[in-house]
Amino acid sequence: MKTLLKQRFSLLAVFLLFASTSVVAQQSDYQIQQDFRAELSELTERVETAVTTEELSEIEAEIDRLEGQYAEHTQIINSAIYPDTFDGSLTRLRNAHTAAMDDATIIEELNERIDDLTAEMDVFRNRMEEMNVEMSSLQDQLERAEANETRQAALLRQYRQNIDQRNEFVSEFLEELLSKYQTMDRTTQQEIAEAAERLDDNPLEMIQTIVIEYIDLADQATALETPDFVAMRAQHGYFVDIWERIGERLANTFEPESPVSAKEEVDDLLTAWLLSVDNQLWNALDSAFSQNGIELEPFASAEDFNTALNSFVDNAYEISLERNSEEDHEIYRNFSSFWNNTVKASWGDLLVEGNVLSHTDIAAIDLKIADWSDASAPTSNLMFILLLISIAIIIGLVILLITKTRKAPPKKIDK
Amino acid sequence: MLKQATITLSLCVALLFGAAACGPSLVIQNVDYSQPIESVLTPDGDAMVHDQRFAIKFSISSILEEEGVSSVDEIRLIRNRAGYYFVTAEGFSNVYVFEADESELKLAKKIEISGDSLGQPAFNQRDTYIELVDRATGQTYNLDHN
Repeated sequence: MKTLLKQRFSLLAVFLLFASTSVVAQQSDYQIQQDFRAELSELTERVETAVTTEELSEIEAEIDRLEGQYAEHTQIINSAIYPDTFDGSLTRLRNAHTAAMDDATIIEELNERIDDLTAEMDVFRNRMEEMNVEMSSLQDQLERAEANETRQAALLRQYRQNIDQRNEFVSEFLEELLSKYQTMDRTTQQEIAEAAERLDDNPLEMIQTIVIEYIDLADQATALETPDFVAMRAQHGYFVDIWERIGERLANTFEPESPVSAKEEVDDLLTAWLLSVDNQLWNALDSAFSQNGIELEPFASAEDFNTALNSFVDNAYEISLERNSEEDHEIYRNFSSFWNNTVKASWGDLLVEGNVLSHTDIAAIDLKIADWSDASAPTSNLMFILLLISIAIIIGLVILLITKTRKAPPKKIDK
Repeated sequence: MLKQATITLSLCVALLFGAAACGPSLVIQNVDYSQPIESVLTPDGDAMVHDQRFAIKFSISSILEEEGVSSVDEIRLIRNRAGYYFVTAEGFSNVYVFEADESELKLAKKIEISGDSLGQPAFNQRDTYIELVDRATGQTYNLDHN
């Protein structure tokens, strides 16, 4: 028994050579690395699922804490996760965090942009609706005020102001779109496209609505005159210019599934708008020339109009050359006055902006009018008569001189 | 006759020594077998544990029998610098020190833990010894295979 106790004591003495007890909670290396792995895994998962920069900032602080807390156990962790390392795993986590932060920043910027866009669209839509109501009311009032010319003129002025406001408002909207989308890269387009489904009214749909409303405006604008339609054509030209610059990008961004057909839809609407404006414009132009005593050949396009103008001036020039009558000169004066004071002075810029006439076309007609001016001015006979009188006087004087010379007696010579 | 027998015997002894001298004699010293982190292994239905990282697989049936328990949720295993395996588990009263041999683990030492059985044991690899920590009580034991 004694031997047995001695042996046991000996074993304990050998095996528990440095045994010690401690009230302080002891750590297990295994547990340390397990805890590290668990926390690393949890943070990795949180980084993967985080969607806000705020959330990711909190995670970043926790990554710092994790690194600080386990730095003293680097060796244990390196052994446990070999061939990975403590530094390597944290670097990967930080890289993932940075990438997630970049993504979240982009998403937040995008969300902000979409919110702004939504707000802009709301403001735009509300203002357009207000103007539609005003315009509809003005149209009704115009129809009712046919008997009262003064009131009709006032209403028409207001109606035109409304159209100008609309044009200005739409132009600002298009400028805004142009500045946003003209230089937008493909990546940003795709990012917006992914978020665009949240928009009730996206810019592409808004453009379609605007064009449809312009078509209605052109079709229903019975009280308007040539300058109004020329202004509409100018607005159409401006719209087309902007659309050509950003149309494809807008279609790719807001109709990413069928950008080609979306762009074609707007192209078709723009063509229909031009047709509606032109139907009114050519009639109004023809009436305006006709009311000023200028009967042009029929025209139904800008080219035809230019041809009709040139044809009128060429014919009038030929007639003036042949007849050189006061009546022809009066036709010239009438045309020249209307051309210079109304067509060029009042409509000139709009005709150019609306692609009805170019500066070259106008200059060419100006040159022809100058020739026509010379040809149509009646030539005076006064100089011819004066010449005849002068010749007659000279002849008379010569005859008188000869006669006197013959009647005089010869002189006698005294020797 | 005796002389001839003596010569024959001497030749045989010389041949034997010669043959022994030609056999393998390469020995590598100071091998470090230490496993940096203990392995925590869950036995399967046949009481087999498999440490894939350190490549060892064995049955713990005889250890359970020795401890007088039918099963454990997990065992803790660590190998010291000299190559001895230290095995214990929650509820054990001993740490078993095994020496590796050809297809077997031979018990080298059985270290009895004073007091109650181990609550939450864990091995830590230290420079010259294996540290046994009972996280339930906070007690530590510095173990050696000798």
